[in-house]
Amino acid sequence: MAVTLPEGDLSSRLERYLDGFKNRHGLEEAEVVGDTVRLVIEQGIVPAVLTTARESLGILHLAFITVVDREGSFEITYELLDFRGARVRVKTTVEGEEPVIDSVTGIYPTANWHEREAYDMFGVAFKGHPDLRRTYMWQDHFDHHPLLKSFEISTKRTFEGLR
Amino acid sequence: MLSEERVTESAALSGRASGRLANPDVRDEFGLETLDMNMGPQHPAMHGLLRLILELDGETVVRCDPVMGYLHRCQEKIAENRMYPAVIPMTDRLDYFANMHNEHGYCLAVEDLLEAEIPPRAEAIRVLMCELMRLASHIPSIGFLMLELGAFTPILYAFRERERIQSIFEAVTGARMMFHYIRIGGVKADLPEDIPQKIWDYVESLESHFQRDFVDLIEGNEIFIARTRGVGKISQEKAVEMGLTGPPLRCTGVDFDIRRDYPYSWYPNVEFDVITDTEGDVEASYRVRIGECLQSVRIIKQVLENLPEGEVMADLGRRIRPPEGEGFGRVEGPRGEFSVHVVSDGSDTPYRVHYRDPSFVNMQLLQEIIPGHYLPDIMPIMGLIDPVSGGWDK
Repeated sequence: MAVTLPEGDLSSRLERYLDGFKNRHGLEEAEVVGDTVRLVIEQGIVPAVLTTARESLGILHLAFITVVDREGSFEITYELLDFRGARVRVKTTVEGEEPVIDSVTGIYPTANWHEREAYDMFGVAFKGHPDLRRTYMWQDHFDHHPLLKSFEISTKRTFEGLR
Repeated sequence: MLSEERVTESAALSGRASGRLANPDVRDEFGLETLDMNMGPQHPAMHGLLRLILELDGETVVRCDPVMGYLHRCQEKIAENRMYPAVIPMTDRLDYFANMHNEHGYCLAVEDLLEAEIPPRAEAIRVLMCELMRLASHIPSIGFLMLELGAFTPILYAFRERERIQSIFEAVTGARMMFHYIRIGGVKADLPEDIPQKIWDYVESLESHFQRDFVDLIEGNEIFIARTRGVGKISQEKAVEMGLTGPPLRCTGVDFDIRRDYPYSWYPNVEFDVITDTEGDVEASYRVRIGECLQSVRIIKQVLENLPEGEVMADLGRRIRPPEGEGFGRVEGPRGEFSVHVVSDGSDTPYRVHYRDPSFVNMQLLQEIIPGHYLPDIMPIMGLIDPVSGGWDK
């Protein structure tokens, strides 16, 4: 079955996406910057917002999921592309030492390995993920998540005071 | 740290254990079981260090589980402990068949943070180098595909071309593979005086024998058609669902190319076609790569004809210290979308660097399309995706 890609010029599409998100989810912090719709949302409504993006607005491509360890909380970014010049950047924050967030694999199946990677590197557990195993590190006998800021490497250097 | 219980709990929430599952559906009427087999990580035909856990029913694969991590260096952690410019040589070691694209993607992300203006000549040289890199990646990938099907000649022709392109890179950058050429703010050095003419002569000569060496030799071959037509067939919907980009996506007919749809660098100033195919099988991906090689030649010629004059490096000061915030860089690599996400906390080193490598994402497809194929079809399907070990393992 053929995939239908979005039509219309960039600015009208961005407008449509912004309205779509605002109307359905009552978002306050939503804005268009350049070619990007930026959303900052509560972690609970991530699956709902991404469902809106894919099912109602027809944004088909999840480019990546990034996690940033803010020491105490985790900032998770979902970058969506509509294949025709517009981007949607969804940001959420998960609190706590043992973060859990809903998986989006049911909406964007490509999230499967992105979430596995995030789990492997940060220990963020994705609730409802069909196959949450480590991607890179050892499956057994390795309890660390290397990209956490608390995971110190032996050759850590600081460049402060260097000219 | 996440305890074992929480992993199991999280997997149990979805109603499926995290361990491997026996497949009861594939036992035949005699009650025969399936056979588990490992392919790789050390396997003569495998692309780099990839281990596939295969479950075989006779010669048909019923389950395929890629295991990664044999080349994992945690590049993202390394990047957090280096100054901004010192990360560039590390990006060379990601996807080692697309070094220029990796450097370009990272530099775009940092320049996005700095809001830097890049001199037009530097942009043009970047595009020139990236398109040569695309040729140096696509042509060997066609060669590898044929090698895996048992044809030895194309890989010799492919590496002859790659060597010639590497000689050009050596003259321009000083290195044959790990270039460290694209820098934050421009490129390391201007092109040597004779190089534009040499590149022009090279692409002319490539054009003159491309048809003979890579199309006529391969396309109508009976064995090639038997091994690739209808093998690894992906529907458009599946391709989009799996997040594919690059030739594996375009061979299904989805018309998406970051160079055109999310233009960056010098690409708005050149004309080229986005090559698509409708079949979505291995043969179609071969045709897409052939078409893209010729488009790369077209782009290279246009850039050389209108190479702007001027500086090749913006003045960004001695120390790169971007303001707090985040930057994104996205380029169309030979395998698909290569994105970089850089988060800055205002210091000399990045707070976080994330690479989205096309090899990693496209390889998800293996789990989906290999089941149902014969064991010998795995290698052509790997040729469709054309993953690179340094890319999926970061």
